[in-house]
Amino acid sequence: MRAGFLVDLSKCVGCGACTLACQEINGLPVQASPPKLSDTTFTMISTQNQVHIKRQCMHCLEPACVSVCPVGALQKTELGPVIYEEGRCIGCRYCMLACPFGIPKYEWENPLPKVQKCTMCFHKRVSKGLEPACTSVCPSGALKFGDRDALIREATTRIEANPGTYVDHIFGVKEAGGTSVLYISPVPFAALGFRVDVEEDSYPKLTWAVLSKVPSIVGIGSVLLVGIHWVISRRMMMERMEHEAAEHRRESTTRGGDRS
Amino acid sequence: MRGLIVKHAWKAICAVILGLGLYAVVVRFTQGLGASTNLSDEFPWGLWIGFDVLVGVGLAAGGFVVAASVHIFRITRYEEITRPTILTAFLGYVLVIVALMFDLGRPYRIWHPLVMGNPHSVMFEVAMCVMLYTTVLALEFSPLVFAKLKMRAPQRVIQAIYTPLVIVGVLLSTLHQSSLGTLYVIVPDKLYPLWYSPLLPLFFFLSAVAGGLAMVIFESFMSARAFGKRLEQDLLEGLARVIVVVLAVLFVWRMTDLHGRGSFGLMFEPTGESVMLWGELLLGVALPMVMFMIPRVRRSQGGLFFGALLTIMGFILYRLNVAITGIARSSGVNYIPSWMEFAITAAIVALGFILFGVAAKHLDVFPAEAAPKPSPFPSHPTTVPTPRYAGRGLLALWGILLLGFLVFGFTTRRNNSHADAAATASGVVSGSFTPATAVPALRDDMKLATGEDSPGVVLFNHSSHVDGVNPTCVPCHAGTFRITPEGARKFKGEDFHGAEACGRCHDGKTSFNIDDDCEACHTP
Repeated sequence: MRAGFLVDLSKCVGCGACTLACQEINGLPVQASPPKLSDTTFTMISTQNQVHIKRQCMHCLEPACVSVCPVGALQKTELGPVIYEEGRCIGCRYCMLACPFGIPKYEWENPLPKVQKCTMCFHKRVSKGLEPACTSVCPSGALKFGDRDALIREATTRIEANPGTYVDHIFGVKEAGGTSVLYISPVPFAALGFRVDVEEDSYPKLTWAVLSKVPSIVGIGSVLLVGIHWVISRRMMMERMEHEAAEHRRESTTRGGDRS
Repeated sequence: MRGLIVKHAWKAICAVILGLGLYAVVVRFTQGLGASTNLSDEFPWGLWIGFDVLVGVGLAAGGFVVAASVHIFRITRYEEITRPTILTAFLGYVLVIVALMFDLGRPYRIWHPLVMGNPHSVMFEVAMCVMLYTTVLALEFSPLVFAKLKMRAPQRVIQAIYTPLVIVGVLLSTLHQSSLGTLYVIVPDKLYPLWYSPLLPLFFFLSAVAGGLAMVIFESFMSARAFGKRLEQDLLEGLARVIVVVLAVLFVWRMTDLHGRGSFGLMFEPTGESVMLWGELLLGVALPMVMFMIPRVRRSQGGLFFGALLTIMGFILYRLNVAITGIARSSGVNYIPSWMEFAITAAIVALGFILFGVAAKHLDVFPAEAAPKPSPFPSHPTTVPTPRYAGRGLLALWGILLLGFLVFGFTTRRNNSHADAAATASGVVSGSFTPATAVPALRDDMKLATGEDSPGVVLFNHSSHVDGVNPTCVPCHAGTFRITPEGARKFKGEDFHGAEACGRCHDGKTSFNIDDDCEACHTP
C-alpha cells in the first residue's frame, strides 16, 4: 500500500478539528486558527472564495526536498509519508528553496534550528497501521485516508457521480510528478491559491539530468587533461632536444672550423 | 606622514568592520537566524549564500584556471603569478566555509555530508568537491609553508605529485563551479525566466572562469600597491584576452538560450528584473569585453584594472541576480539583507584581505624578481599608483547599480500587487458554491466518568453542542477537551465543573450555569 489521503473541498466545513488534532499529536502550541503554515503549524485551514482548504505537506511521490537534502535528513518512506530525521539535518534550507509547494518551515528563533513540516504522523500513527491524527478526527467526511490508487478511483467516482459539484480535476495525480495527498474541489484550483503552475514531471529529474553526468565528466575529463599534459610536455621536450641538438651541431661545426 | 595616516585609517576601518561582524555572530548564535537576518520561510537563502558562497567560490576560480594553464597547458610564463593566485583561491575557499558556519542552522554538523551523503543531492556534490578542492589548494600552497619551515621531504613529495594534484583540482573545480548553478535547476517555477535555464551549470562555469581571471588581475594590482611588487602587466594582458573570449561565449550563449526558451521578450518588459539583467549584461559583460578588445585600453594600467573590476562586478551581479533578484517575485516578499548580514559578509571580506596580507608578509608568496624579464612595455615603476579614474569610476558604477536596485525594488512591489489583483479578479467563482455545513460523523454519546458523590451519570451529546449553521470544533477542543487519544487528559467527577472543562462555557454567561441545574446534565 502507498498511503495517502483525499481532501474533498466540497465537504470541508472548516471546523478546525484536523488543525487541533495535529497540534495535539505533535505537541505544538494550541492555536484556534493559525494564520499560516509555520514551524509550529504543520496544517491549517485557509478560506478562499468560500471554500475551506486544508493545507499541509503534499507528500510528493518523488519529493524535491528529499532529492536535494545533502545528508538524507528528509526521506520518502515506503508507506508514503515524507519524514524528517532531525539528527542528520545540517540546517542548509535547500529543502525550503526546492519545495515547489513551499512546505518545509524553519525555526528562525532557535539558535540551532530544525526544519519542521507535516510527516503524515508517520512515527506515531501510520507506521503502526493507524491513520494520521487529522484524518481520524474529521467529522465532515472531507478527509479520507487510504491507499493512493484506491483514493484516485474514489475521487473519480465522486466527480462522475455528482455532475456540477466538482471541477473535473484531481489535484495531486500528476502535479510535481504525483503527490500522496489528493484534492478535489468545487471551484477551480487556481482560484484557491493552489500552485497550479507546478511541473507535471518530477522535480528531482531536473537536477538528476545534470548530476548523472558527473561520472562521465570525471572519466573523460581526467583522460583529456592527462592527454593534453602529455602531448604538450612531449612537444616541449622534443623542442628542447632539437634545440640542444642544433646547439651541439653548431658547436661541433665551429670546433671543426677551428681545427682546419 | 600621509601614508601613515592612510595605513592607520585602513586598520581602523577593518577593526570596526570586524567588531560589527563579531556582534552579528553573537546575535546569530544566541537569538537565531530570525533575529540576525531578514531571511524567512518565503526567502530561505539570502546574502550569505548569494554573496559569501556563490560569489566567494566563483571568484576563487582563478586558482584552477592559472594552475591548469601552467601545469597542464604548460604556459610556463604564468608561473610567476601562480603563488598569489593559489593563495587567493585557498583563502577564498576557507572563507566560504567560515561563512557557511553562520548560515547553516547546525554548523557543527558540517561534516555530515561526508558520512550521510545523498548522491542525488547537488548540495552533496558541491560539499564534497569544495571539501576536497580546499584540501587540494592547501597542498598546492603547502610548499611555501614547508619552505618557510625548512622541511625538505614533504616539499619533495608535493613536487612529485604536483601535476596529478592540479588535474584533480581542475576536475573538482569544473564540477562544483558548475554545480553551484545546478543548485537552481530544481526551481523552474521560483527562479525568474531571465535567469532560469537548464544550462545554468554551464553559465556558472564560464562566468566563474571570467570572474576568477579578473580577480587575478585585481589581486595583482592590489598586491603591487600594497607590497610594492612588480606588476606583471604583460601576463595580465594575456589574461584579459582570455576574459574577452570567455565573456563573448557566455554572452552569445545566454542570448541564444533566452531566445530558445522564449524568454527573450522579457528583457524588454519594464520590470525590475529586466533592469537588473541589462545592468549585468551591459556593465558586467559587454563593457569589459569591448574594453579588453581594444589593445590600447588593455595595455594601459587603468584600462586593465577597470576592465577587471567591471568583470568582477558583472560576475557578482549575475550570482546575486540568480540568488536574490530572480527569486524575489515568486517568493512574494521583499528581501533586503539586514545590517547584520552585511556586517558578517563585510567582516569575511576584511578577514580575507588581512589573511592575505599576513601570508604575503611571512611566506614567499611573490617569487624573487631576480632577472627582470624583457617586457614589451616601457619600464614601469616598482610601486603602482592606483589607476587615476578607477576610484571615481567605481563610485559611478555602484551608483548605477544602486539605482538599478531601487528601480527593482519599486517595480517588483508594484508588480506583486498587480498579480494579486489579477488573481482575485479572475479567480472568483462567487455564488456557484455553497460551503458545506454537514458534520455527519460526530461521535456517539459519551458517558463521562463520574465522581463518588455524583448525582447521576452524564451522557455527553456532540450534536447538541455543535452549531448546525457554522460548525466548529475549536471552542471546546482547543486545549480543553483533547481531540486525539494521544493528547487526552483525564477528567473525573468534579473536574468537569471547573473552568478547564464544562465550566468554561457553562458559566451562566455563554450557557447555563453548571451549579444551577444538576439534572440538566446528570441523569439520576
